[in-house]
Amino acid sequence: MSITDLAARSLIRSQAWRSVSSSAPSKYAQASKDQSSAPPAGKEPLMKTFKIYRWNPDEPSKKPYLQSYSVDLNQCGPMILDAIIKIKNEMDPTLTFRRSCREGICGSCAMNIDGQNTLACLCRIDRAGGKETKLYPLPHMYIVKDLVPDMTQFYKQYKSIEPWLQADPPADGKEHRQSIDDRAKLDGMYECILCACCSTSCPSYWWNQDRYLGPASLMAAYRWMADSRDKAGFARKEKMQNELSMYRCHTIFNCSRTCPKGLNPGKAIAQMKYEMATES
Amino acid sequence: MAARRLVARPVLLARLHTASRSQNTANVTGVDTYKYIPGGPILPGTVNDATTFPPPSKTHGSHHWAFERLLSAALIPLTASTFALSASPYPVLDGVLAVSLVIHSHIGFDSMLVDYVHPRKFPTIGPIATWGLRAATLSVLVGVYQFNTTDIGLTELIMRVWHA
Repeated sequence: MSITDLAARSLIRSQAWRSVSSSAPSKYAQASKDQSSAPPAGKEPLMKTFKIYRWNPDEPSKKPYLQSYSVDLNQCGPMILDAIIKIKNEMDPTLTFRRSCREGICGSCAMNIDGQNTLACLCRIDRAGGKETKLYPLPHMYIVKDLVPDMTQFYKQYKSIEPWLQADPPADGKEHRQSIDDRAKLDGMYECILCACCSTSCPSYWWNQDRYLGPASLMAAYRWMADSRDKAGFARKEKMQNELSMYRCHTIFNCSRTCPKGLNPGKAIAQMKYEMATES
Repeated sequence: MAARRLVARPVLLARLHTASRSQNTANVTGVDTYKYIPGGPILPGTVNDATTFPPPSKTHGSHHWAFERLLSAALIPLTASTFALSASPYPVLDGVLAVSLVIHSHIGFDSMLVDYVHPRKFPTIGPIATWGLRAATLSVLVGVYQFNTTDIGLTELIMRVWHA
């Protein structure tokens, strides 16, 4: 899939959402209102403040600011994504964010929640009283609007590592075979959903985003180096033989710490460095 | 922090998106209108072009990394043995320790310069900093040589300062 496809898809996604939230048939709007105005029996309202980063490209000279929203947690789902969907539905339809699957497999709703990059759909709302939660877009990215960062460079980098199998078809005309042990080497890497939480938590990626690939693309690169079926390992490693593309990784491990899927990009990069130092 | 960085660029960002969408015009990437600044909001090429890689060089890649790690690991036993042997009778060992430390520091500082003042972003300050560091390392090496050959040597100095 090309990057325009991805971009177009996310655009369609956001437009579809906008139309649902702003021009939904009135009976649905009425239904949701009835539901929300009736608190569950025996539960006091539990109000919580969300402070959300706002910036509107239509008013480019206006500085970004934090807008506060107060949500009753007893009338809201358990996750941060539930809260911001509720805010968009019931309080402020101009609030803009990406979301799709609501179950941590699409990677759309990656954002910085209370200082930690994670997926809003996998992050529980802290119900401790009196605490407010701050939502920012992914750090050090150019912002399209509110919580929507510009991912163009991230996808361009992913494309640069050629994330596909490069090998001649097997002579017997059948599929590429792989032992169970070789297949197991890809566990912990193939699950990456490219949400960019890791890359945007990496200080090296903050400073040198134009040249340093960042943990997400590097783990994807190593996923193909480690694949026993792939025959382009030398060329893949040769690309990393410079001071910027991979060696700007200083083993900070923010990537592994923040990964909402529990993967370990830091380990993949360490293995790549080790193989490159010992093989040649 | 995110806020501060983003404030200044929204107009450029909006223009970038406009420029990259108008596929039929000659100025597809905005190259003619906007100069590419490394790390800035204008990306080289179209949105469908992959990022490029610098020319491969093991000197800057795996060899550099391996040398850095081996040197760091070697410094541990080297430091211990120099002090255990009370360096005065072993001037060569003392010299090796001193030179290793200087090179180790040089690699560390150089890494900072590549991170923060890379010449692609700082065409003036970058090279000045890089060559300044090389000059400093060289003069320290000369100083260490003088000190270790005509004076008490590095280990002896540290021992005396420690006991002073």
